[in-house]
Amino acid sequence: MKAFWEKLGRFAILIFEDSADTIVFAVRVFVRIFQRKTYSSAMREVLVNQIYFTSIQILPVFIIVSVFFGSLLIGIVFTMLKDLGLTEFIGHVLMGLIVTELSPFLTVLLVTLRSASAINTEMAVMKVNRELKTLETFRIDIVDYLLAPRVLNGIISIVLLSSLFSIVLLISGILFAKLIFGMNINVYTNIVLNSTHFSDIVLMLFKCAIYGFFITLIPIRFGLRASHELTSIPIAVSRGMVNVFAAIVIIEVLSLLIKLY
Amino acid sequence: MREFATQAAPVSVDVPLISNQDVYMNIALIKEYHENMPRQQAERLAVHCLGRIGLEHIAYNRNPSLTLEERFGVMLLRAAMVKDAMILIDKPFELIPHLQDIQMITSMLKTIGDLYLSCHIYDYQWMQEKYGEL
Repeated sequence: MKAFWEKLGRFAILIFEDSADTIVFAVRVFVRIFQRKTYSSAMREVLVNQIYFTSIQILPVFIIVSVFFGSLLIGIVFTMLKDLGLTEFIGHVLMGLIVTELSPFLTVLLVTLRSASAINTEMAVMKVNRELKTLETFRIDIVDYLLAPRVLNGIISIVLLSSLFSIVLLISGILFAKLIFGMNINVYTNIVLNSTHFSDIVLMLFKCAIYGFFITLIPIRFGLRASHELTSIPIAVSRGMVNVFAAIVIIEVLSLLIKLY
Repeated sequence: MREFATQAAPVSVDVPLISNQDVYMNIALIKEYHENMPRQQAERLAVHCLGRIGLEHIAYNRNPSLTLEERFGVMLLRAAMVKDAMILIDKPFELIPHLQDIQMITSMLKTIGDLYLSCHIYDYQWMQEKYGEL
């Protein structure tokens, strides 16, 4: 029994230390984002490249997924509302659930699968190849040059892509409102606008920014934890990705709690 | 050594090129980061310097596709980009093992002589014969 409590205690301490490390690391990167000296020509180049890789290259797949998945989702939700006789709540459901909750969630899942895993691997490979040591040798701060642009890119990309996802959903809503409820575009627009609360939009954008920050910061942190052996790369990547998904769930739960109270 | 910390520019197997960046970016990075040189100007400078040692054609290649001589040339130019560079070449024959003598390296150093302040080559005593009269 004593051994069990000792094991549990050690595990709790480990979790606590790990979380504290992540918070300290997050604060360090966050502070750098607001410092002017971070934005050197080299950093800006990395930032532009990262935004291109994360937000532009993904666009064809992202638009196809959002059109198909979004239309399907809107179709199902509208049909259910009609069947349950809850047509008057269409605007609230559209804005409160689909736009402010599902759009950021689906966007962050897509970006995590595509970009967070790539960032995690990239950092681990750089560590194994001693390329981080190269940067240090030439007095290039890795927080300024590698971390800040990737984290900033995460924030910008999630906010933009999530907004795009919401726009696609709202546009497909026009079609389904016509097909299912026989509603014209003016009525639909009125319903959506009347159900829109400024605070919901702010909360959604803020949540996107938090998502973007952590889905890039956590893979970077775990990538940097790789040792100098090739075998440490898959371990660093799998641990990083598990933690990213845990962070997504935690952020989602916290945002729901904030909305609730 | 500490007083020259900002000038020290190593060329060594322990300081590899960044593999997910083009050759020109590895060279331009130093100017872009430390001197805030605009990207296009830094790119032009890097490509021009590569041209001086006859390596212009590899400007847009990446580290894994380079030959040992090309890789050495890029590492040398990267080091030369440091302001008032004090180039420190660590065991050059470890970077290019098949090289018979130091001739190729000295000729490269002469070609870019205006880009650095001084150059120091470090190697084992038993490699002395490869250096000839140097």
